[in-house]
Amino acid sequence: MGSGGAFPAQKRLPMTHGGARGRGAPLLLRGRQINKTLHNIKITILCSFVTILVLRGTIGIGSLVTSEADAENQHLIEETNRILAEIRSDKDPSDPDEGPERFLSLNDTFSLGPRISNWDEDRKVWLEKNPQFPNFVKGKPRILLVTGSQPAPCDNAIGDHYLLKALKNKIDYCRIHGIEILYNMAHLDKEMAGYWAKLPLLRRLMLSHPEVEWIWWMDSDALFTDMVFEIPVSKYKDYNMVIHGYPDLLFDQKSWIALNTGSFLFRNCQWSLDLLDAWAPMGPKGPLREEAGKILTASLKGRPAFEADDQSALIYLFLSQKERWMSKVYVENSFYLHGFWEGLVDQYEEVIEKYHPGLGDARWPFVTHFVGCKPCGSYGDYPVERCLKSMERAFNFADNQVLNLYGFRHRGLVSPNIKRIRNETVAPLVNVDQFDIRHAARHTAEPQS
Amino acid sequence: MVGRLLGPRRARQLQRFVRNGKLTIFCLFLTVIMFRGYLGAGKFGTPEKDLDDIRETLSFIRNRAEPRRVLEEALISGQGGLKSAENAGAGSNNYAAFDITKIFRDEDDGAEEFNRDPSQPYSLGPKISDWDEQRAEWLQRHPKFPNFLREHKPRVLLVTGSSPKPCENPVGDHYLLKSFKNKIDYCRLHAIEIFYNMALLDAEMSGFWAKLPLIRKLLLSYPEVEFLWWMDSDAMFTDMAFELPWERYKDVNFVLHGWDHMIYDEKNWIGLNTGSFLLRNCQWSLDLLDTWAPMGPKGKVREEAGKVLTRELKGRPVFEADDQSAMVYILATQKEKWADKVYLESAYYLHGYWGILVDKYEDMIESYQPGYGDHRWPLVTHFVGCKPCGKFGDYPVERCLKQMDRAFNFGDNQILQMYGFTHNSLGSRRVRRIRNETSNPIAMRDELGLLHPAFKAVKV
Repeated sequence: MGSGGAFPAQKRLPMTHGGARGRGAPLLLRGRQINKTLHNIKITILCSFVTILVLRGTIGIGSLVTSEADAENQHLIEETNRILAEIRSDKDPSDPDEGPERFLSLNDTFSLGPRISNWDEDRKVWLEKNPQFPNFVKGKPRILLVTGSQPAPCDNAIGDHYLLKALKNKIDYCRIHGIEILYNMAHLDKEMAGYWAKLPLLRRLMLSHPEVEWIWWMDSDALFTDMVFEIPVSKYKDYNMVIHGYPDLLFDQKSWIALNTGSFLFRNCQWSLDLLDAWAPMGPKGPLREEAGKILTASLKGRPAFEADDQSALIYLFLSQKERWMSKVYVENSFYLHGFWEGLVDQYEEVIEKYHPGLGDARWPFVTHFVGCKPCGSYGDYPVERCLKSMERAFNFADNQVLNLYGFRHRGLVSPNIKRIRNETVAPLVNVDQFDIRHAARHTAEPQS
Repeated sequence: MVGRLLGPRRARQLQRFVRNGKLTIFCLFLTVIMFRGYLGAGKFGTPEKDLDDIRETLSFIRNRAEPRRVLEEALISGQGGLKSAENAGAGSNNYAAFDITKIFRDEDDGAEEFNRDPSQPYSLGPKISDWDEQRAEWLQRHPKFPNFLREHKPRVLLVTGSSPKPCENPVGDHYLLKSFKNKIDYCRLHAIEIFYNMALLDAEMSGFWAKLPLIRKLLLSYPEVEFLWWMDSDAMFTDMAFELPWERYKDVNFVLHGWDHMIYDEKNWIGLNTGSFLLRNCQWSLDLLDTWAPMGPKGKVREEAGKVLTRELKGRPVFEADDQSAMVYILATQKEKWADKVYLESAYYLHGYWGILVDKYEDMIESYQPGYGDHRWPLVTHFVGCKPCGKFGDYPVERCLKQMDRAFNFGDNQILQMYGFTHNSLGSRRVRRIRNETSNPIAMRDELGLLHPAFKAVKV
């Protein structure tokens, strides 16, 4: 800081200082000191004032004192976070305290329910007594498609969105083909949690609905991509279970992915109940499942080390008790009852160009199954963008087949928007006969094998 | 040196000038700082904003939020993390930080597109005048697709839907999923088919008007359907045992929840509710849709129509035309043309406003049982105004979401009891067993008789 007009004393000081010698020196000295001190104080006050101004100008006092609006915002955000966390958490505040979880020990035996031994006869009697609930409707066996997801919201919003879209996809297929659908969101058996939850559910549904001929379990991450294809049930009249897989992978290589339990059918009969009973023991959470996991990893090719899952357990069961079960199990691979998504989703444009719906196989896959994507969790086994983009493509690929009846189509396989491809007419029933899958199928039905 | 050049006096003057200049600049600088601190400098912002920008660039948690945007922002701040870094990595396996709207893209696949001629006044489609005859002839040719499943039981298609894009509210899709499951359960029991719409058929008829082109399209595409039942996505079934009294409607074409006097006498804008209604598949309905549509097209038409409706109807606030007010207006002003085929149902809750119902569920469980459909056990609980998919609704978030959970569980208990389970409480997701497994399952009956109800039976 240079000299300024505010400090006129400075100009005088040298002169005062210069004339300080002589008789009045001590008095003058003190006076000078006082002056100097006063002067310094003035400078200090001025400097601090300026400093405060500068500080205020750069930082503001906002960070020193929170304003009222900010506080209210903060409160709202915390409140909402709390609500969302509460909704997301597994713990319900209204639930009574259940105490520490008890697992079955290795010595305990688990059963899905009391043993039933004459289900076939009971069911036959019931069907005779209830002709208004037949097991064959319009010449086709009654099928119940069962799927489901966890009761709590997914770890992130996009998971729920794709659960919703997948459910719409299944509803569309089932409406076209006269199949009933049941979406489960309850954990019926705490011990059989996770992928094992389907076993008690399937058993309960079979027993409650004797009018159902086939129960079809489908994972929530599997989408129908061929809306025209219908499962050739007459092919399975001598079998009780239809599952996608490869017999050589199963019997020769003992691979843990020889079969896929993401999409399979069970006939409603005693054999199936017995199979469920034989399948269940590896499932109960805790040491039983852990130990079973080790056995499965040791016995099956390529299986990583983790707790027992239903698919590996089924493969192990079929390998170890082949004579008992395999005569009634149809290992299907002539169409994609389960189609692993990675090899399929990039081909959709080619498929549209070369083929037509109704084939169900590699030319036009029946089901595209997003194994490993796990959109309901936080992390999947594959990059997120690839998974979500592929799921969107598969959904739109299938939706185009449904929208075709109404004269619309998506604007590309990754677009939620649609465009009109056929004008409205005054005779809409001509289009209905031509484009409704249920009516068109009758004219182009493939011969039953 | 300068002094030597200019002379002593001049030099001193120059020195003084320079000194004053320095002072002036210094004071100016101080003044600018002061003013910036207080008032900001337009687009250069205040210094505080500078620091915030710096903070944001370093991806610290953003803690500034408008109060109404709370739900969206809270989740972002809750997840935290370096959002930009996560998005950049295409190899990321973490769902939390991914923005799905990046994926959506319109592409041209070469298929020809047909658009409505914008110079013409809006219409849902070319006028059809012989729909009843066309339909009758088609039904005769397709005996496998009858319009009545049994005597008095018409074939019904329940139509609902939501946006094809993810909800703005992070838990919105979860509630849409639950609501959808709830409808699937009711429809499976009552042999009703479901159509879940996720497509905007006509960009001009957006928002609540989107149902009109959809309904017309479905009526014309499914001639075997006798009644189309439109239901909003925020409405849930809470009485699984109640079967609609189809015989009561054999001579009418349009059934809505409402009161005659509130429409025809009072012209009250909430005298009926278009969140849940039945429409017969016939010429009359096509004509009604054509009469209903003109107030719908987005933009000036809808705005102007809104003003007319606010003026004409009792109690209507000022906003653009909505389908419900438009229907009230049509019925009130063209009573002679339509009223004889319209049934305003108030004997049961074809639509039940949630505000007056949700707190009474425990009382209902204690005093009554499913099957009434009315105030004793409502058929439908409709969460009007909650908007769980949007960022903000008309009611507090906590009340809406908690009550939707309760309504869902209230209905779900009736489904679970078929299989021997029930929810631990109306607020709990967990279930417990109420009936043990038996070795003689064929003899087992569920209390409400919903496993094999009469309304699901096929014609023998």
